[in-house]
Amino acid sequence: MTAFATLAPVYSTPIVGRSRSANLSTADTNMRALEAFLASVERKAFRIAQLGLRNEADALDAVQDAMLKLVQSYATRPADEWRPLFYRILTNGVRDMQRRRTVRGRVLAWLPRNSAADDDGEIDPVELAESPNPQPPHQLEIDEAMGVLEQAIAALPLRQQQAFLLRNFEALDVAATAVAMGCSEGSVKTHYFRALQSLRAQLGDVW
Amino acid sequence: MSGERDDTNIEARDQRLAARSREVLAESLTRLDGRTLSRLNQARHAALAKRREPRLLASWRAFAPAGALAAALVVGTVLFAARTDMQTPSVLPLAVNGELELLVDNEVLELAEAGDELEFYEWAALEAAGDGAVLGT
Repeated sequence: MTAFATLAPVYSTPIVGRSRSANLSTADTNMRALEAFLASVERKAFRIAQLGLRNEADALDAVQDAMLKLVQSYATRPADEWRPLFYRILTNGVRDMQRRRTVRGRVLAWLPRNSAADDDGEIDPVELAESPNPQPPHQLEIDEAMGVLEQAIAALPLRQQQAFLLRNFEALDVAATAVAMGCSEGSVKTHYFRALQSLRAQLGDVW
Repeated sequence: MSGERDDTNIEARDQRLAARSREVLAESLTRLDGRTLSRLNQARHAALAKRREPRLLASWRAFAPAGALAAALVVGTVLFAARTDMQTPSVLPLAVNGELELLVDNEVLELAEAGDELEFYEWAALEAAGDGAVLGT
């Protein structure tokens, strides 16, 4: 009995130390996985937000908000749940921004135009200057195709746009897209089908 | 038969359309400008920094019970001291009666401390006692 009493502290100390370091390494692994995940989705997320909002600054804000919310609320969830959750936060953010913009637009329509505010959108001559390195034909072709595609996607209703981009661009399956859009799998299929129909009607001749 | 062929054509066109749009969108990712990439990088790091914050909060929470106990002790001590102070004035006048005046009278203390005039005070006291004796007699 005495032997157990004397041995107990000797064995208990390293176990505590080991579990603590194990916890720390688990947390570090989680952080690294989270960072890798965010790095893997940030560009596509930005493009999806940009296509939905048609504004670069707003798209960046939407992506940043989505990252923050995912990290604060869902970081402890299994890693395979992060992607649909992240896109759910992002699509909700894009939808909220669009609503706010619509309301703001309606309110501003009643206000007199402020010439000082209009001056904020000054044209930068550097941006207008011709590039010293002309783009190769392939890049020009891609630019042109991108422009046409952007217009066609922007013309889609938001839910069709989201279904198309999440399924086709982000390559989420129907179930994950349903989680991301907060609707049933049947709705995802319907939205995606209608998006394809609209795009086919608009781009069919070009592509 | 022709209906089936039409469906197959539409399906094939949809697949082509989906593949082409995927290709164009993927290509556009490689051409995001440096400022946008930098902003995305900053956003990612800001989000991850938020993840680290709760750990600090958790360690702070571990010390919260000890802090609460210390605060309670401080408050208890202050209240006890305040209560003692409140009781003192009601007791002292009764206990020391007129002697309190002597204790707080600076002049008397100064006289008592002046050792060189101690003989005078002894003499004065004896004189007073003698007078009392004379008067008493």
